[in-house]
Amino acid sequence: MIDYSALLYDPVYAEIGVPATLAAGTADEIELVVIDDTRPKVLPAGSAEVRSVGPGAFARIPELAAAGIAREDYTDAVLSFNGRTWTVRSYELRGSPNGEDLGEVRFLLKAAGSTDG
Amino acid sequence: MVDVREDILARLLEVVATIPNIRTAVRNNVDLTEEHLPAAIVFDGDEETADASDMSMRPPHRPTVVQMTPEIIIAQQSDQVGSDITTLRRELIKRVLTDTELNEQIVKTGRHGNGAIRYLGCQTDVGWMRSLHGALRAQFMFKYTLKPEDL
Repeated sequence: MIDYSALLYDPVYAEIGVPATLAAGTADEIELVVIDDTRPKVLPAGSAEVRSVGPGAFARIPELAAAGIAREDYTDAVLSFNGRTWTVRSYELRGSPNGEDLGEVRFLLKAAGSTDG
Repeated sequence: MVDVREDILARLLEVVATIPNIRTAVRNNVDLTEEHLPAAIVFDGDEETADASDMSMRPPHRPTVVQMTPEIIIAQQSDQVGSDITTLRRELIKRVLTDTELNEQIVKTGRHGNGAIRYLGCQTDVGWMRSLHGALRAQFMFKYTLKPEDL
């Protein structure tokens, strides 16, 4: 069986990943590597459109698990990378051929301090 | 020349620009960025008359009653977008329905005029961007007399 972590994810993160910190709940802040996945986003406002960004980041689930970060810790965690600080508002799992626990998670982010207002 | 439709739309833009905290007030601009927000956009409205059923010998250039329904968009992105949109809506409705120039000089509402301004309702949209984004679409009806000889 191909080890996708060793042959795919780790080389990709080594090349385009950036250093990040993640603080979840009352646990100590951890260091990890993420891939910045902030994308342009357009939402309708009636007949008009408003352009902004949908901030996001990929992380490797094994790296999170090794640091003691479980899935129930993802939401509301504070993630900092590339000079900005965000709050995880939701996430989506990206499965791996080796199983979802060895895949990636895509954090869906919002501006730190932003609420569901 | 008197073009009541244009006078209404131009005045609407002036009125929405006075809403507190509005950063951008534009007319018919459909492409905004988050730096424009909070924004108010006035869209030129559809018009209707009841003249399709008028089979009389009335000369075509006689005055007729028109109902125009412009739409106003309020867009905001913030930590408290729900409260912000509610506040902006309140100011929008109050300012449009009570504006003296719109009521008394352009549409001519009241006992001796046959014009009218009505708030028809609103719809909302929300979604996530950098923070929570909200938009409110409000419709108003302006009833006025179209006088072809004045155009």
